Amino acid sequence: MSVNINPVGLAAALATFFGVWLGHVSVRKIERETVNLWKPTLIALALSAGFGAASFLTSSLSLSAICGILSVTLFWDSFEFQRQQKRIKHGHAPANPNNLRHAKILAEYSEATSFDWLNRDPRGTPYSPAELESMKEGAK
Amino acid sequence: MNWFGFWLCLATLFIIGLGFVWVIRGERYFGYLWWPYVMGTGVLSILGSLFISNNWASALFGAFGASLIWGSTELKEQAVRGEIGWYPFRAKKILPPFVNVIKKWKAPSL
Repeated sequence: MSVNINPVGLAAALATFFGVWLGHVSVRKIERETVNLWKPTLIALALSAGFGAASFLTSSLSLSAICGILSVTLFWDSFEFQRQQKRIKHGHAPANPNNLRHAKILAEYSEATSFDWLNRDPRGTPYSPAELESMKEGAK
Repeated sequence: MNWFGFWLCLATLFIIGLGFVWVIRGERYFGYLWWPYVMGTGVLSILGSLFISNNWASALFGAFGASLIWGSTELKEQAVRGEIGWYPFRAKKILPPFVNVIKKWKAPSL
């Protein structure tokens, strides 16, 4: 008895994992360093369109799956630049004082901070407002 | 014209979107220490997809498995988000089997 291996699922899995992972890391990194967000937004949209077109043109199911999934993750990433900027404004992601756009956000939004709240292990209990304040002060 | 990638990308978008929901809810009620089980289920789902002859089912199992693995790496940060007050915190969590062993392992975060 022979077992036929179907590579389509593995192709979809790799594209999904790496599309989400690389998108996640790249958006944070690029948003942190770039002053004009429309540039990476347009690049992500163009790449998304390119992969989308490729997914229609290839006759291979695995390649079509990979291109389709990368197309949708890049499309998502193009909107994530703005969402990441909102996180910076609310202090939910650390601002980069050396980035002029972030420096402006740090000056205008009181919650914005260069402190990374998420850079810690869970401890199992919620933090009190006083603890949160001292953590933020301690990081300055 | 090959429409497989197009329809699959819509399904994957839904699967990834669902990931946000189950990571937030799952962490609130079960805690981040379930991460090895979630990751293991993701790996099994992807391995299982290799043996499914139907292309649609194989692709969906693969994308779903990858989303589970990704989600397992998000649970730790979500736990911190709950503790610092960005999401509702629920102290009473349903802990996983072998929780004391899992506590000794470093939870992944990408």
